[in-house]
Amino acid sequence: MTAPVISVDGLTIDYIVGAGRFRAVSDVSLEVPEGHVVGIVGETGCGKSTLAQAIPRLLPEPPATIGHGRILFGDMDLVRVPLWQMPRIRGTGISMIFQEPLNSLNPAYRVYDQVAEALQIRHLREAGHLTPDRREQPPFDYSRRPQPDAGEVLSKPIVPAGATARAARRARPPYPELREEVLDYLKLVRINDPETILDLYPHELSGGMRQRVMIAMALSEKPKLLIADEPTSALDVTIQAQVLTLMKELIEEVHTSILFISHDLGVIAETADELGVMYAGKLVEFGPVGDLFGSPRHPYTKALLRAAPTRYKSDGPLDSIAGSVPNLSRPPPGCRFHPRCPLARPVCKAEPPPPLLAPPGVAPGHRSACHFASEVPNLP
Amino acid sequence: MNPPGSTAWVGTQSRRAWQSVRTFWQVLRANPLTLAGFILVVLIGVTALLITVAPHLLTPYGSNSPTHAYAQPPSWAHPFGTDSGGLDIYSEVLYALPLDLGIAFAIAGVAVIAGGALGLIAGFWDQPNTAGGWTSVVILRITDIFLSFPSLILALAIAVSLGRGVWQLIVAVLLTWWPFYVRLVRGETLAVKHLPYVVASRAAGVTEGRIVLRHVLRNVLEPVVVYFTLDIGTVLVTLSTIGFVGLGVNYPVTPEWGSMMSTYQNAGLITAYPWTILGPGAAIFITVLAFSLLGDGLRDILDPRSRRVLAGTGAGGPTSASPAAPQEPSQQTVVEPGGTPTVVPTAGGSGGP
Repeated sequence: MTAPVISVDGLTIDYIVGAGRFRAVSDVSLEVPEGHVVGIVGETGCGKSTLAQAIPRLLPEPPATIGHGRILFGDMDLVRVPLWQMPRIRGTGISMIFQEPLNSLNPAYRVYDQVAEALQIRHLREAGHLTPDRREQPPFDYSRRPQPDAGEVLSKPIVPAGATARAARRARPPYPELREEVLDYLKLVRINDPETILDLYPHELSGGMRQRVMIAMALSEKPKLLIADEPTSALDVTIQAQVLTLMKELIEEVHTSILFISHDLGVIAETADELGVMYAGKLVEFGPVGDLFGSPRHPYTKALLRAAPTRYKSDGPLDSIAGSVPNLSRPPPGCRFHPRCPLARPVCKAEPPPPLLAPPGVAPGHRSACHFASEVPNLP
Repeated sequence: MNPPGSTAWVGTQSRRAWQSVRTFWQVLRANPLTLAGFILVVLIGVTALLITVAPHLLTPYGSNSPTHAYAQPPSWAHPFGTDSGGLDIYSEVLYALPLDLGIAFAIAGVAVIAGGALGLIAGFWDQPNTAGGWTSVVILRITDIFLSFPSLILALAIAVSLGRGVWQLIVAVLLTWWPFYVRLVRGETLAVKHLPYVVASRAAGVTEGRIVLRHVLRNVLEPVVVYFTLDIGTVLVTLSTIGFVGLGVNYPVTPEWGSMMSTYQNAGLITAYPWTILGPGAAIFITVLAFSLLGDGLRDILDPRSRRVLAGTGAGGPTSASPAAPQEPSQQTVVEPGGTPTVVPTAGGSGGP
């Protein structure tokens, strides 16, 4: 396994709403190896979108608070990087595609302007223009106390503001070149007639088109990690298939690492290399997609797979999981899935399952958080 | 269309500019009332310019220079009549135009810039218990203090304490005017800043300052510009009201519509020589109406969505007579990738029970 682009370690995120405290993500650890596509699947409200937005620190804090845990990106712990430094990491480091293609493009600007803005961010970074430049120099430390060390970000050499501004001017390519580059990226995402699309406003594009433009924007920054938060959920099935095909082709072409969030097992099966299954804020199972689908080792994953409609099952209603998702402000004690679990025994209610462990008889890297993981294959 | 490395993009730029002019005209044509407002505003602007640089083109009389016709009803020589002192009302109304427009634009302009900036700051950095949050609280409480007085009464009170004069008038109205813009812009900013495209641009690595100035401000602009245009009329009415109660500028030394009406009304001329009041009254009415009509239509011109709908043309691409149908089949043909269009639905489906 190659070095991880990002590794999330024991991440816990709470939403504090009024007097209530909702643990949306609790103690999640996972890694995205370089060049891999890692999927996260789970029901609505299981914390997968919260996790996705927490990685580039896009969650509004408050109401969200990152309790503990680390998000290691390179040698930086993103949890400890001050928020005003994050723009330097977002975009060229970690970029994101959202689930609402209809609203993720600014309605007031033409496609060209929006893709060009993303492109220019990369050009500026590559020229050494470290935004936000004015705050490059840390304030004079009267106390001489050691500054908190968040890794590479804070220890960058101090660059005078004027120097970065000059570098930035040099980095800004003239309009025709930038335009050609924008066209290249629009062609990359298989947009026919990009010349016309350049001059259109977002509302004049279809949903699939908009999502392509979003993907072009994200890719134009050449991010080390691309987080796709349900990129196809808002599209109808045929366009969903097109966008997915496109994404699969792009994964081959641009070799970026992707964290792919979805509630759709079919979508995940087509794109991901590894898959994490989340339930009620916890990662309950993680493993290579084929192995996880073939021999799930967590009762929730098994139930989820059974509940998915297949083209072969045409008789009777679809299977469903009895019960409902627990209230995250008062999660059930012990294993969170035990009220709905066919394997539940007293121990499940009494103590939480061990952290992700490899049950016997599975592929390497396949781990499950269940007291009785080895009994899961016996379930119907 | 353009081979790489060619300079055909220059044509693209000018084509874009030409297109926006054409769209502007098409939107105007689609709304006859907006068109009327636009024409009136242009006429008023040209008149104000002419009366400033070449007044003799519009009237043979100078400002505050009595003719020898006293208290004449409207006639060809004196379209709005004359007052008992022999002043030609038509000329005085014209001479008042640049001042009234100037004051109105100064007040509304400073209010929109200052109030808008404060509103943008208060709306965008409103996280409680941060430096931005406290700034926002301070801005909003000061705004509330100003808003808690009836603005006209407050303006009158300030005008009384400052004395008569053009600058005093501007300051008095301005002090009561900016808080409305803080409220308006803050509200719009709060609505815009959580929209997905703001979060998306943040995810793309755009810095906060640039998000405010480029992404939020542009989308807040539409209602603000519309409100601003309508506001010009409201400022004019307020100015005239202050002038009318006798706290405005000193007519006839400085011609101003409100003060004109006030002077003639106080002199008891309204029944004997009603045209002395009808002239400036009509001027206020027409100017306010012109800006209101234009303001109503401006929203359509600024908003790319309604702009294209009204203009009925796109930028040469798949146009949207019905922009709310993003997945209509005709557009789908554009969407299809170069290869074979895949229509195989994904295996599986919804994972949630």
